[in-house]
Amino acid sequence: MKQSTPTRPTPPGAACRGLAISVACLTLLCALSISSAAASPQPWHSLTPSQQEALAPLSKQWNSLPEAQQQGMLNVAKHFPELSTEEKQRFLSRLGAWSKLTPEQRQAARDKYRAFSQVPEDKREQVRRMVREEQAK
Amino acid sequence: MKPTNPHDMTPEAIAGLLTRATEQLDNDTVAALRRARNLALERQALNQPVFALNTGHGIHWPTPHTTHQWMAMAALLIALLAGGISYWHHAHEHEMSHLDIAILTDDLPMEIFIDR
Repeated sequence: MKQSTPTRPTPPGAACRGLAISVACLTLLCALSISSAAASPQPWHSLTPSQQEALAPLSKQWNSLPEAQQQGMLNVAKHFPELSTEEKQRFLSRLGAWSKLTPEQRQAARDKYRAFSQVPEDKREQVRRMVREEQAK
Repeated sequence: MKPTNPHDMTPEAIAGLLTRATEQLDNDTVAALRRARNLALERQALNQPVFALNTGHGIHWPTPHTTHQWMAMAALLIALLAGGISYWHHAHEHEMSHLDIAILTDDLPMEIFIDR
């Protein structure tokens, strides 16, 4: 008689338990990555020299800015080194006024800018010319 | 009785012999056979895949059956949701910071975009 070795089947729960644990770890990591995006407030002295250079107009009020605004400004400051000299000057001269706006005003300005950038190029150029003429008066 | 080689028998003859032999079995043997059959069926059930893929409608979905499978499925969905929210959050922040930079550096004055 042929003797076959009895093989004990793997309980289906074991594989699933491993999967559940690994997926739970993944979930935790995702949750952590979301919460890390909302960083805790950073005092001015803890910023890098590059961040301090970009955010110099805000040095006095920086520590009193809401966390979300600090995070937004830090995200913007990341691009500062990529700007031309002229753009850096404009950036620094406008940053103070920009930071004093309410979050709603800033969002409205973003929406307006996005809408403006979708206007055909010739129309945008026309607006730029009109504004330049207005400023020259 | 002349010994018959099973290879020379037709399937019908074998089936007939088995039926007659079964009728002669005592109750203990029938009960033992039934137990062995049930045991074999239970083992077969354990050997089924972790996720059964047949919904009976010709479309195959991995449907969870046990508590662990439901937990794994729920954890997977939560992970996907968390990943999606995280991606959306980063994409939104990325777009906001690009618009901020554009407004702060455009040669058009910033004031024309601001509602006072």
